[in-house]
Amino acid sequence: MIRVAGSTTLGRRILYGLGLVVIAYAVLAPITSLDAVQSLNPPLLTDRLWFRIATITAMFVTMATAWNIIGGLTGYAAFGNVAFFGIGAYTTGMLIAKAHWPFLLALPLAPVTAATFAALIGLPLLRLHGHYFAVASLGVGVAVGELVQNIDYRGQSVFGGATGLFLPILKVPDRDVFFFYLMLGAAAIAILVTWLVMRSRFGYGLIAIRENEEAAEVIGVDTTAYKVAAFTLAAALTGLAGGIFSQWNAFINQDNSFPIEYNIQMILMALIGGAGSLFGPAAGAVLLQLLIQFLGGTLPITLDLPFLPEGARPIFAQIILGVLLVVVVIFAPRGIIDFFGGRSRLSLAYFKRSLRETSI
Amino acid sequence: MEAAALLELKGVTKRFGGVAALNGVSATVAKGEILGVIGPNGAGKTTLLNCVSGVYKPDAGDIKWQGQSITGLAPHRVARLGIGRTFQIVKPFGSMSVRENAAVGALFGSGEARRGPKEAFKDADRVLEVVGLRAKADLPVTSLTIPDRKRLEVARAVATQPKLLLLDEVMAGLNSVEVDEALDMVRAVHATGVTVVLIEHVMRVIVGVCTRAIVLDFGQVLAEGEPEVVLRDERVIQAYLGERYAKRLKG
Repeated sequence: MIRVAGSTTLGRRILYGLGLVVIAYAVLAPITSLDAVQSLNPPLLTDRLWFRIATITAMFVTMATAWNIIGGLTGYAAFGNVAFFGIGAYTTGMLIAKAHWPFLLALPLAPVTAATFAALIGLPLLRLHGHYFAVASLGVGVAVGELVQNIDYRGQSVFGGATGLFLPILKVPDRDVFFFYLMLGAAAIAILVTWLVMRSRFGYGLIAIRENEEAAEVIGVDTTAYKVAAFTLAAALTGLAGGIFSQWNAFINQDNSFPIEYNIQMILMALIGGAGSLFGPAAGAVLLQLLIQFLGGTLPITLDLPFLPEGARPIFAQIILGVLLVVVVIFAPRGIIDFFGGRSRLSLAYFKRSLRETSI
Repeated sequence: MEAAALLELKGVTKRFGGVAALNGVSATVAKGEILGVIGPNGAGKTTLLNCVSGVYKPDAGDIKWQGQSITGLAPHRVARLGIGRTFQIVKPFGSMSVRENAAVGALFGSGEARRGPKEAFKDADRVLEVVGLRAKADLPVTSLTIPDRKRLEVARAVATQPKLLLLDEVMAGLNSVEVDEALDMVRAVHATGVTVVLIEHVMRVIVGVCTRAIVLDFGQVLAEGEPEVVLRDERVIQAYLGERYAKRLKG
């Protein structure tokens, strides 16, 4: 984000420190589970559950960061990005399950297919503004999932139908470690791409579009091309996450490749973390994913909720997320990252000002 | 003609439903001049500007830029050819600082001017100096006063390094001191070698800074010539103040 350079503040140092610890732990912990390393008897920092949560978190970091390019930088609230995740998953899945391609050859085609789809659908879709774009993109997101499940050819489902697609298990030593690092790599690529975009003319053009599309156009920004490019870029990164997911999970169907709640979650993560900033969406993804797991009871530390009937936990988690969204949008509209950039201080005055600015 | 025509309009017509906002307007803009475009409310001044900058596509007629037709070209294409414009209702990039606003203009704009972010920020400072906003470069746009926002609107357009600058009522709503300052700004911009077309309501502006003036009324060119002469034209007075007043002035 183009920001006035501020001096190094305590908040910024804390953020960098925390970020480094999280990254160092995430990168180094899996090594302790490698067979070769385990023979040396180090403390095991990871188990299967850790890998599952960490890989999912990296997946959401990728998706939230990708959404930020179209939603945060360009200001187009895309509500159907899960379509790109699903298209990525099914591209890689189909190539492996039906065409017997090796995974590493099938994976690059996931972002390519998702991006191609986004470029085609983006041209008509991005002519719409505001709510119209949001609703139309949501429609696309739902429609693609339905199509994938229901397209038949001569009585046979093309994409596995309601049964879904089973992929052969990838034969690599330490699968958990392999897929975690792969997904972490995707997240790193998403952040790197965003960083490059934000420093470039392209990025400034996107922000200009967000701030005032008409003014951007008359200073010479090719708004249509820029919007479609941003949408396509977001789709490619989201598709990459989907491609990795399909082989990791070794089973894909409409439910796990086109979940509508992913749309909401990636937007929520970007908003809570700080839409339009480089690290905001990633920070939001880590925070929210941990919260979701915590509320869902999958973390080692869980919340004991005797008042909840069995099975009501997911609904309870949804409620908490909803409340969190409302609170953040009203009281910290620039996301939590705003407190760490050296621009704003966490204080009652900040919340009061935000409330004044966001209330009509 | 003393100088080559930069911009040439021939029979430009734009209708909105049954209303012809522009009805066969023909005019030229010569290189180096400051052309004033005046006329009563609804005369078609802004529509004319929108047709030139590509925001509207004319229903008929032709617009030539340095001899080449640019009729119906998308606004960003027009901007890249070297035609900058401002909006009557300012449209700043709200979350950016003053300098960033100008820098984004410098990043895009005319074909020869396009450059990387680093040079763009240097350009921005130079342009802010010209329009008198250099001291406020680091402020967020939201803290600017209305006259300063109008300056910023001009700065962003100037930063695109246009050959021709179309200014849409940059002095509307300013008090007389502010108008004088704005006049100085227009002169400063013009002195950097930019041809200017100025849409204005304030007569003092037209007389004070324009080398030529065109009067529009009901989408047609009513009069054209030196500002002092045009403003004394009976038809112009009639268009602005009504037939009765014009007669009284005469009698």
